[in-house]
Amino acid sequence: MQDRAETDRATRAGEAGGPATPPPAVRVQGLWKRFGEQTAVAGIDLQLPAGKFIGLVGPNGAGKTTTLSMVTGLLRPDQGTVEVAGHDVWRDPVEVKSRIGVLPEGLRLFERLSGRELLAYTGRLRGLPGSEVDKRATQLLDVLDLAGAQHKLVVDYSTGMRKKIGLAAALLHNPEVLFLDEPFEGVDPVSAQTIREVLERYTRSGATVVFSSHVMELVESLCDWVAVMAAGTIRAQGTLAEVRGEASSLQNAFLELVGAGSRTGGDSLDWLGGKR
Amino acid sequence: MSVLDAPAGAAPGPAGTGEGLVGVFVRLKLTLLRNGLRQSAGRRAAYITSVVFTLLFAAGLLLGLVALRGHAHAASLVVLLAGVVAVGWTVIPLFFPSGDETLDPSRLVMLPLRPRPLIGALLTASLVGIGPLFTLCLAAGSAFAVASGAAGAVFAVVAAPLTLLVCVALTRAVATANTRLLTSRKGRDLAVLSGLVIAVGFQVVNFGAQRLGRAGGLAALDPAADVVRWLPPASAVGAVDSASRGSYGQALVQLLLSVAALAALLWLWQRSLVKLMTAPDGSTLAAAGPGREKAGKDGSRLSALLPQGRTGPVMERSLRYIARDPKTKAAWTTALAIGLIVPILNALQGTGSIYFACFAAWMLGIQMYNQFGQDTSAFWMVALTISSARDAYLELRARALALLLITLPYTVLVTVVTAGVLGDWGDLPEAMGLSFALLGGMLATGAVASANFAYSIPQDGAFKNVAPGQAGLAWISIFGGMVSAGLLCAPVIAVTIWLHVADLEQWLWLLLPVGAVYGALISWAGLRIAAPRTADRLPEILAAVSKG
Repeated sequence: MQDRAETDRATRAGEAGGPATPPPAVRVQGLWKRFGEQTAVAGIDLQLPAGKFIGLVGPNGAGKTTTLSMVTGLLRPDQGTVEVAGHDVWRDPVEVKSRIGVLPEGLRLFERLSGRELLAYTGRLRGLPGSEVDKRATQLLDVLDLAGAQHKLVVDYSTGMRKKIGLAAALLHNPEVLFLDEPFEGVDPVSAQTIREVLERYTRSGATVVFSSHVMELVESLCDWVAVMAAGTIRAQGTLAEVRGEASSLQNAFLELVGAGSRTGGDSLDWLGGKR
Repeated sequence: MSVLDAPAGAAPGPAGTGEGLVGVFVRLKLTLLRNGLRQSAGRRAAYITSVVFTLLFAAGLLLGLVALRGHAHAASLVVLLAGVVAVGWTVIPLFFPSGDETLDPSRLVMLPLRPRPLIGALLTASLVGIGPLFTLCLAAGSAFAVASGAAGAVFAVVAAPLTLLVCVALTRAVATANTRLLTSRKGRDLAVLSGLVIAVGFQVVNFGAQRLGRAGGLAALDPAADVVRWLPPASAVGAVDSASRGSYGQALVQLLLSVAALAALLWLWQRSLVKLMTAPDGSTLAAAGPGREKAGKDGSRLSALLPQGRTGPVMERSLRYIARDPKTKAAWTTALAIGLIVPILNALQGTGSIYFACFAAWMLGIQMYNQFGQDTSAFWMVALTISSARDAYLELRARALALLLITLPYTVLVTVVTAGVLGDWGDLPEAMGLSFALLGGMLATGAVASANFAYSIPQDGAFKNVAPGQAGLAWISIFGGMVSAGLLCAPVIAVTIWLHVADLEQWLWLLLPVGAVYGALISWAGLRIAAPRTADRLPEILAAVSKG
């Protein structure tokens, strides 16, 4: 696996100059996954454009994590195909794995390494030369505000610090497409802002970020392309404006799309706020 | 019966007054116990089995103590027994920190409870369970074994429950005082290593019992008992003995010592409980303020010595995990200790043979099994960088090399030391050759088993090494693998036997190079077979190792 920095810069420069449309960052066709009786992902089709900040939104249990795991090659689908940057994830792993960076949710890191050791390990596993890994790790640790904790074991990190070191590990080999599963979950506002700045800078260079979340305000302020998932299916996909449609906010559009009506009202909680 | 129904229905809570709270806590404990048992049939079976065994054991001890009545050294024995039980109660919370969630004060922080009634309620709730029942049986039996006369009987009636109360207060006081430590990462690491402590402790007890047998029976206990009979809660049992012998003053002092200890423990417990529930948790303070400093260069000395490419970082991480990951460390320490003890001890006792030295290679070779399970779900980081059979081969080979870095010198050392103890230098080359062949077989089958039979290793608890539902997989992997490793070495074993039988013993030294080359060849072949399987099964392996 080689560093993609040079080739990426070349292709991105080419895109800016010529009219040739690049292949979509991710193309998913007829993707299914069942766990026993339960269907987690029920035949989804997705086409995520390259060079965009893409949000995959949906309520808990919608199948976001399952979808991202299958797209990144960490979970084998029952049916369907996934292509990343025009390469099939399961038939052509060499091309795909060198092009993607992943921050999964609910999986551990090698927590008995310090933050810096984890980056060194990941970078060298990705085939980067030692001195280059060292340089990039130093910069990432500085930008993500982890320099002070770089020699602490990851097992002693807080949630926000774990997300940041995971993000650093995912960015280290300068991937074309970055997949982040709930990158802001449990993260304090300061760390969230840092992550956000790094990601915005990264997409400006022409790379693609795909991230899942159930915080609509966040998606609305960050993304220019949105896919809405509920109960294992895609309910809507398109630019932010297309998905929002007539609704006043993405939150309202989302509630309509997933079919969650107003549950307040009635007299079931009439004592709440009454006489004490 | 729901716990929540009881207090909330009546008035705005019992708010820390008297008996209401005791009832709530006892009911809470029973409800949690029942709900825990309702979760799975396996848990129910395990619980019922442990209750039956504990009761049988308690009944046996009780009978033994009753039979001891009138024995000259009975008093020494029961006093020491009480001492041992108290030590047990002290260390239990350190090894099983999450043992009793009803008594976890951090869950009660938001409730309006006063410390004194809370302590009373918690103490009463702590008395519910198999452990306290067992201790009560023991204390009652001990009191009965030494009590005689009316005074003895009176002291016995007080001493038995007092012993139990001191034990329970002791365990709660220790647990509460150490909550911060035990819920921290270092505390949990400690708990994982406790299995080793218990194994070593068992050996010490075993050794002590043997010496006791040689030293001429229970009389050897008397000097120790003379001290322990003044230490609570053993002093309560000692008081029964003193009263039965007519030394009422001594009896009273001993009993009061235990009462005072109970009071002191309750006070200590209350103090740390109040502190724990009102002071802020400082465990995240260090993480919150890292202080801005520039990330400097960090050229690791270890990585400079290891090969470049994939091999170096993988070896480095494997070696770091042996030193830092409590589960991996415990497995390695056990393997290293047993691999040395079995051949050497047997040799020292004169029952050994130099072939026992192969045991070291075998014990350490087991560490090659379930390589990816040792990664836990962090295996995804490895999976994302393996995109061909070549990558998988390099990954497996690097892990085998890291293992060899320790195993190879260790095998040589154990074989040489065993030969030295036995004075059997002539057989050294063939034993070492066999060890190398066996090690090769273990590495080969370990790699294949890692690819085909990965399973999760739960990270908490010292005694769980397989996730629920994967025990079968683990047995197939390890036992199937060990048998196959033996079969793989069959050619070398056959040559050894043939050379012995055919009286060609002058050629036996040849087994050293033959065993080494053969071992290297079969481990290479094993890695070659395992690599494409690993590359093909990455998502399946990840799913299998993520259950812990």
